[in-house]
Amino acid sequence: MAVTETPPETVETASAAAPSAPHPQPGGLAAVLGSGDHKVIGRLYIVAALLLGLPVLGLGLAFGVEGFEPETLDVFSSDVAYQLFTLLRVGTLFLLAFPLIIGVAMVVVPLQVGSRSIAFPRAAAASFWGWFLGSILLIASYAINGGPGGGSANGVNLWIAAMGLIVASVLLAAVCLATTVLALRTDGLSLERTPLFAWSVAIASIMWVFTLPVLGGMLVLMYVDHRHGGALALGGSAGIYPALAWIFRNPQIYVLAVPVLGFAADVFATASGSRQRMRGLVQGAIGVFGAVSFGAFLAIPSTDALDSLLVVVLGIAAVVPVLVVAGGALDAVRGSGSLKAGPGVAYAAAGILMLVVGTLAGAIGSIPGVLEVPEGSSASSNIFFLGITHAVVVAAVIAALGGITWWASKVGRGPAASSVGLVAPLLLLVGGIVMTVPDFVSGIVGDGVETQGDYAGGIAAANVVVAIGVAIVALGLLAAAVSLLPLLRRPDDEVPADPWGGQTLEWLAPSPPPVGNFEGELAVVASAEPLYDLREEK
Amino acid sequence: MSDAAALALPPAAPPARPRVLLVGTALAAVATLMAFAGVIGLYLAERASVLSQGGTWLPEGTSIPLTPGGIAMATMLLSAVTMWWAVDAVGRNDRPAAYLALALTMMFGLAVINAISFLYTQMELPVASVPGVFIYTITGGFIATLVAAMAYAAVMTFRTLGGEYHGRDREGLVAAALFWYANIAVFAVIWYAIFVTK
Repeated sequence: MAVTETPPETVETASAAAPSAPHPQPGGLAAVLGSGDHKVIGRLYIVAALLLGLPVLGLGLAFGVEGFEPETLDVFSSDVAYQLFTLLRVGTLFLLAFPLIIGVAMVVVPLQVGSRSIAFPRAAAASFWGWFLGSILLIASYAINGGPGGGSANGVNLWIAAMGLIVASVLLAAVCLATTVLALRTDGLSLERTPLFAWSVAIASIMWVFTLPVLGGMLVLMYVDHRHGGALALGGSAGIYPALAWIFRNPQIYVLAVPVLGFAADVFATASGSRQRMRGLVQGAIGVFGAVSFGAFLAIPSTDALDSLLVVVLGIAAVVPVLVVAGGALDAVRGSGSLKAGPGVAYAAAGILMLVVGTLAGAIGSIPGVLEVPEGSSASSNIFFLGITHAVVVAAVIAALGGITWWASKVGRGPAASSVGLVAPLLLLVGGIVMTVPDFVSGIVGDGVETQGDYAGGIAAANVVVAIGVAIVALGLLAAAVSLLPLLRRPDDEVPADPWGGQTLEWLAPSPPPVGNFEGELAVVASAEPLYDLREEK
Repeated sequence: MSDAAALALPPAAPPARPRVLLVGTALAAVATLMAFAGVIGLYLAERASVLSQGGTWLPEGTSIPLTPGGIAMATMLLSAVTMWWAVDAVGRNDRPAAYLALALTMMFGLAVINAISFLYTQMELPVASVPGVFIYTITGGFIATLVAAMAYAAVMTFRTLGGEYHGRDREGLVAAALFWYANIAVFAVIWYAIFVTK
């Protein structure tokens, strides 16, 4: 079945009159600040995430160094160590990983589903500005001695309010993205034909809608409590962070990584140059991974046997869909017998391998009795779980950077630098593994309280390896940033719309895509790979 | 000829799939339900913990009379009928009935806010207590979402009757009704978990 279902003689007539933009477009700063164009909003998310999130990773390196000799090294004074520890954890997730993923999704998803805009464009813009303001306020709250464990009551209140704003903004973005996939797909693009990245973003967004409001509700509760004397037994402002720490634990942390699967599946299918034979299975696996990442029940402290069983089952089950998607990628390559290797493929491979490490560790850690529970601590305070969180976050960041590289001609003005772009995912993967495996070892051998007095935790010798891993990850991020610099300048030659021989609709849009995304009307889509249909028809 | 041009064809018939506003509102309703589910779950867990240790949940001198909460619940149920009536009237292009139904729904919403406010004055519950933090957060949060639902319903009704949608295209009002019904579901849980079982 071909992609076009209308006689060829209508093509020329229709293509002659590409619709112009409905309104005069503003230029300069107004075009950026007041834009409802999903591509501009996505770019804003990406740039702001890199500017705000990457410095936070410097804290990770400093905590890694602190862990060399926790007894003697005092990288941070004891007054601020706990606050900076919480900034590292919260910042990595909400200032870097979430906005990076959202930024790439904002640019790519409407293009992939053949939509001319994102659903609720003004809400999408509001989500960025809300997130940006919330992030600035979050950092400001630490500057005035706020945040969890802070000495300033106003600073603590500001931290809670800023977190609430960030969560609300992420939710708004999730609603826009999910609605775009569910209701704005072009004609013929049924859900089962939806490109796998767009599908994974829809699943992730729906899971964010199901889980992040629980965090939002808790933040409101904590704000009211803290404003009125702190009656809840949280242990003062320092207790705010542990009450929210469930979002960093598996299975909940996996909600961040669902798009990793869609990105990898999309890239491998395209790079192999063939239709994906296991597409239905891969699509189902992405959905299952989203479902097993539901961890909002962890928000309510419970010793109930059913809850414990749920943690075990979800923890072990999560690795299966990841392996299925990895198998689907391998099958696509095996089926076609070829693979156009490049930075995108390297990022996709690195992202999914990192996620395999994270979910495999999650499965092992979920088996009862494998991990020692330190006296006076809860099982989730074992440093093993910190390793899982780091693995998943690194996987998400790899996929997001890979997405920017793969869709560079849609995200930026031109393609990314390929040579440095090949090194970056390798460094990120190696660094990610070196950074996380020692935490797994520390957790299993029993020296694994995540937050000791110095907030370093783990075996001192293993922490040296962790710090080396963080440094390699930082190098990888630097390499990625360098490889993405060409996106900022206009290339001399015309950028091709479809540099990879793509199979999904985003490659029909010019590079960079104009307002309205596509020139002319799109035909009725007749398969999951409409551009392959087109080539076959030719 | 570019690939885009090669694919350029006359627009196909509108797809038969959920509408944008309805899908977005459904997701927002799910988010609202989950937010309340989380906080009410924490409330129940905390209350069960206190009671299992032989303590009392509400501070001495505090009582939550059932009548205002019960009236608020009944009013919310009535508002479900009037909201349905508004949707139906818009579908029939019956403007007077639609305005009347909307006015009644708004009035019921205000009556519920009034009932909860009255309850605040009756129960003498200090906010600086564990039950106080929970109850004021949950009920205050509900009032905030109810106000949002009222504004949403009003805007969508006026937009529909003002001509942006017409009788057969009442997506906006149906979406507002969906959010309203989600609020009723939330209040039903609040009514039972807080006002009835205390």
